[in-house]
Amino acid sequence: MSKHDERNQVLGHEDEADGIQEYDNPLPDWWLGLLWGTAIFAAGYLVHYHFIAHRSPQKALAAELAAASERWPSESPGTTQLMLTEDAAAAGEQVYRTNCVPCHGAELMGGIGPNLVDDEWLHGGMPEEIHATIVNGVPAKGMLAWGPILTADQINHVTAYVVEQNAKALGRPYPPGGDDEPDDEHEEQEGGSR
Amino acid sequence: MNSTLNLRANASVYDDDIVRKFVAATVLWGVVGMLLGVIIALQLAWWPANLGLPWTTFGRLRPLHTNAVIFAFGGNICFAGIYYSMQRLLKTRMYSDAMSAFHFWGWQLIIVAAAVTLPLGFTQSKEYAELIWPIDVAIAVVWVVFAINFFGTLAIRKVRHLYVAIWFYMSFVITIAVLHIVNSLAVPVSLTRSYPIYAGLTDALVQWWYGHNAVGFFLTTPFLGLMYYFLPRAAERPVYSYRLSIVHFWSLVFLYIWTGPHHLLYSALPDWAQTLGMVFSIMLLAPSWGGMLNGLLTLRGAWDRVRTDPVLKFMVVAVSFYGMSTFEGPMLAIRAVNGLAHYTNWIIGHVHSGALGWNGMITFGILYWLVPRLWNRELARPGWATTHFWLATIGIVLYTLSMWVAGLTEGLMWRAVNDQGLLATPAFMDIVHRLAPYYWLRVTGGALYLTGALMMVWNLLETVRGARPQVQAIPAPAAS
Repeated sequence: MSKHDERNQVLGHEDEADGIQEYDNPLPDWWLGLLWGTAIFAAGYLVHYHFIAHRSPQKALAAELAAASERWPSESPGTTQLMLTEDAAAAGEQVYRTNCVPCHGAELMGGIGPNLVDDEWLHGGMPEEIHATIVNGVPAKGMLAWGPILTADQINHVTAYVVEQNAKALGRPYPPGGDDEPDDEHEEQEGGSR
Repeated sequence: MNSTLNLRANASVYDDDIVRKFVAATVLWGVVGMLLGVIIALQLAWWPANLGLPWTTFGRLRPLHTNAVIFAFGGNICFAGIYYSMQRLLKTRMYSDAMSAFHFWGWQLIIVAAAVTLPLGFTQSKEYAELIWPIDVAIAVVWVVFAINFFGTLAIRKVRHLYVAIWFYMSFVITIAVLHIVNSLAVPVSLTRSYPIYAGLTDALVQWWYGHNAVGFFLTTPFLGLMYYFLPRAAERPVYSYRLSIVHFWSLVFLYIWTGPHHLLYSALPDWAQTLGMVFSIMLLAPSWGGMLNGLLTLRGAWDRVRTDPVLKFMVVAVSFYGMSTFEGPMLAIRAVNGLAHYTNWIIGHVHSGALGWNGMITFGILYWLVPRLWNRELARPGWATTHFWLATIGIVLYTLSMWVAGLTEGLMWRAVNDQGLLATPAFMDIVHRLAPYYWLRVTGGALYLTGALMMVWNLLETVRGARPQVQAIPAPAAS
């Protein structure tokens, strides 16, 4: 029987199918093509991925990381040191607004995270300690490690901002110490407040 | 019906009473499930809708929504359609009236138990298998009784040939039993708590073998069986191709069962298993489209009636959405695409183009066809059915489009880096805020869909009010 004659021939099962008639039309060519095409693709992909190119998600990640470190060679070295200046604190305010407000609050009074403008420091209140807490986070308590997220400059700036706001709230000078006060006296003062 | 004492109250007539019960349950749980969906969609757009009560928060209502629409709404229409069509296809009353009744009341009790325990926070926290172990045991018992009744009916059938719809029903009955029992194996430690017998990655793999085949064998094969019965009946046209139905049935059930690992791409699952999940999903495209083709091509010569008959309108759109979401599924299973789409709203959109578009629309079509026949009444308001059709269609389009855009937006924002190589949007909340407009669009789409369903409830209630259904005698099998 040619393909044309096969078309629209009723099978004659309807007495056994609640009156529903069935044609026995041939499978559409494009549908068969899709069936075999996807099967061939599936076999080809599997063989290529595992046995020819030897790919894996781990290798794909490594390649992506290699490309990234080529494009951004070092870990974006900061152009600033941790400097407790008016300018650094002003630049840090924007960083704080963008990243810290959800947990520490717009007024730094805390919320999900602790209050930053009182005299209690859970992980050290020295500027270097605050800086380290921001960089490394406190994963056990939900504080993110911002080191991989923010630039070194941004972390320096936001540290300065937090130190400034804390000093203001407690009526202490900022920049700390001022010009004529020796450095170690300032450290003593900060150390006493921990 | 006081039929529980005899195996079959009257073997010379069809048991349509059980069908009417399952139809009523479909409509009831459908509205409940869709209402829950609109509520949790609203919660995502507007958090005060969580009401500040633990029982009404998103985390507890979401599994209730999924269980209600899949197992209560979807399950009951499958049972209604199966009990109606298999008796007629096999020219016999169901094997046991008592088992039919046990199946019905057992299933409804399970749904009520789910509706109580999930808001109270009792859960196994496995997606689509959240229910605690005593309910899992009840499901297994009810299912086995259903299976005995089903195969008993096959055994006493008065015809030799098994119509294609019956094959699909068989795959449903057998596979769901296997999936449910294997995935639910757990060691109870109290009435409400248990630990799965699988650990870690094995548990994840078994869970998604179950999870994806809940889609395959609860939301696909029984509904294809329903399509194969109700679509040609409604269109009064011959099925396009018997041989296509054979080829796509066997390829579908063979390929589906392997696809679960595509839910675990880029996870700790061994790479070869991830690859299998991906390639079997891609091979599933043609078998799925075989069902769509047989549905759409069966309508050749009936397209003029699609313009006027709401039943056919619903069925055409249902089959089209089936085709669309079974195209989208294999695409989403491709590693690279999945890397972008996984965990985003795109997946939610994909699921709903299947659930609202395919399962919901074909259910509405079947209900509008079946209820007038079961209660011997003309549909009270055919115009309302057409309005329902348009509300539902516009609702689905709003839902899927908004979730596509939301999913691509968040997927791209999660991975975007700035020119210093740092995350462009490090604050997750900024991405959530960006999605709010799409969440509102989704609420709108869902509300339209629910409104249409409520119009259907009114329409069907008006249709059956005061109706006195007649029993239908079983015609003698043709002499051969």
